[in-house]
Amino acid sequence: MAFLELHDIVKSFGKNTVVKRLCLNVEKGEFISLLGGSGCGKTTTLRMIAGFETPDEGTILVDGKDVAPLAPNKRKLGMVFQNYALFPNMNVRKNIGFGLSIAGAPKADIEKRVDEMLEVIHMEDFGLRYPHQLSGGQQQRVALARALAPQPEALLLDEPLSALDAKIRVKLRDDIRAIQRRLGITTIYVTHDQEEALSISDRVAVMREGVIEQIGTPFEIYNKPATPYVSSFIGTLNVLVAKVIDPATGDLEVSGQRIRAGAALEASAGSELVVAVRPEAFFLEPGNGDTNSLVATVENIKFLGSVVRLVARAGQNVVSADSFNTPSLALPRIGEDVKLWFAPESCSPLATAARAEIVAASEEGTQEKH
Amino acid sequence: MKKRAGLSWLWFAIGIIYFFLPLVATFLFSLRGKKGVLSFVAYQHVFADPLFLKSFGFSLEMAILTVLVGLALIVPTAIWAHLKVPKARAVIEFFALLPFVIPPIILAFGLIRSYSSGPFSLVTSPVLLVAGYVIIAFPYIYRSVDAGLRAMDLRGLTEAAQSLGASWGTLLFRVVLPNLRTALLSAVFLTLAIVIGELTLAVLLAWPAFGPYMALMGRNLAYEPAALAILSFAMTWGAIALIQLLTRSGKDKEKGANLGAGAH
Repeated sequence: MAFLELHDIVKSFGKNTVVKRLCLNVEKGEFISLLGGSGCGKTTTLRMIAGFETPDEGTILVDGKDVAPLAPNKRKLGMVFQNYALFPNMNVRKNIGFGLSIAGAPKADIEKRVDEMLEVIHMEDFGLRYPHQLSGGQQQRVALARALAPQPEALLLDEPLSALDAKIRVKLRDDIRAIQRRLGITTIYVTHDQEEALSISDRVAVMREGVIEQIGTPFEIYNKPATPYVSSFIGTLNVLVAKVIDPATGDLEVSGQRIRAGAALEASAGSELVVAVRPEAFFLEPGNGDTNSLVATVENIKFLGSVVRLVARAGQNVVSADSFNTPSLALPRIGEDVKLWFAPESCSPLATAARAEIVAASEEGTQEKH
Repeated sequence: MKKRAGLSWLWFAIGIIYFFLPLVATFLFSLRGKKGVLSFVAYQHVFADPLFLKSFGFSLEMAILTVLVGLALIVPTAIWAHLKVPKARAVIEFFALLPFVIPPIILAFGLIRSYSSGPFSLVTSPVLLVAGYVIIAFPYIYRSVDAGLRAMDLRGLTEAAQSLGASWGTLLFRVVLPNLRTALLSAVFLTLAIVIGELTLAVLLAWPAFGPYMALMGRNLAYEPAALAILSFAMTWGAIALIQLLTRSGKDKEKGANLGAGAH
């Protein structure tokens, strides 16, 4: 039996059903992310676990007990919010000690626990400051300490890093994960940022329109996406329009150039098909097994730090190709033709119907990232 | 740019003159109680009049009751509306306009008609006066509280407190009210100022309040009413200064807590 169980949860606001028969099991000590675009029901799901929303149908069990009759203040679940929600009238120590103080803990115990928590978040010198005297990242660390201080049964985080800038986001997410590992607390983390979800979770549940499309380890989610939505929402995906030449061999034509898919195709010769290729599957030099190649004209070169992304056009298809940013990397010029090499196994054919869905999803993903 | 700044200073100066000139004139007039010299004799007369202190004391008492009843009614209502029924806020806003639209004289007659005979015969009870004052003070209290609630992240703070185990009472007294302090103080002082100077209800319900006392003085005397006007201005400003002082001291306390720990 899992520590936290959600069975057939349904939740509607008016006519809009935001969570549809959602089931989720979270093991004790596990770090699970609910990942999805806006309006996918991830925050509503978290808020139902916390008790701030009531499910229309279904049950939520924590440690085998149905929490439906419990008000949010009786659930013993720590929560961290996007906008920190620190009490402005209390200093850091009072904020962290709040939960213990209202539980009637002896003063000495509260002080001791507050000291411990300040040490956990590396903010020992900040105990007497007020929230408005702290940076966003510091405030969120205090909020985390405040949620953890009363030793809750589970920790719920609702987009805790969305309001912070990129550098602090990366640092803090590593901190959150380290603290979670150290305390071994069951954690549910809501985010729209796939990189965040993949980098810190034991498992990721990709949500869309109120259902979980796929749940699995970050490795599974990224490398074996179960649905077109997942494949496009996670990472960047090139969608190439191809014409089927020979379904049995997997031969295809992309913008007049021959390539081969890794497996036989379920389509008739001459029909149109969509294949998906990850940007990191393309190479400027052929490697072992890179038997496919596509000649394309470079339209743009983007530096993404450790990675350089070429955007190149082959006929109607525009592809992104990533290379590691090594000192020896010889980059083509804009306007030049390049040959992009890739393995047949890295192109996954998709049903044409999936294409519109994918384009929509990747747009959604891109928007969310900004 | 400079020209525009000069122009705004000009308007500011005009505003200041418009506001302060009558005050200065009233003040100077109030000092002329004794012929030929400037003196505070009018003020001495005012303070020497036992009716002054009596009526002021009565009005202050009523004002404090109004504040207590008003806050007890309006603060929880505003919080509840913010948290649970945001749509109701439009309705409350509408009601908060009514005391401005309906003149106090109508209110007074309405109260007298409704409560002069059973089942609730209240015209001779100060309860009715306080009830009327609560209605008059309602927009001021509600607006202050509403602004205070808007300024804080009420929903976030509520949920954070609840997830930490807080009951509604704990939430109200340890989180919401301390953060509403400035708003509550301004509601309190506005209400005090309004009730202490209120005339219509007090006259029509026949209470020896400060408003009627001032009106009476104004009818019969020359210098003393001017002194009274200056005094009541001074009291109002004193109250405003007190709000500033109390809110500032809160902030200073926070600043004092900043022990200069290094940047992180």
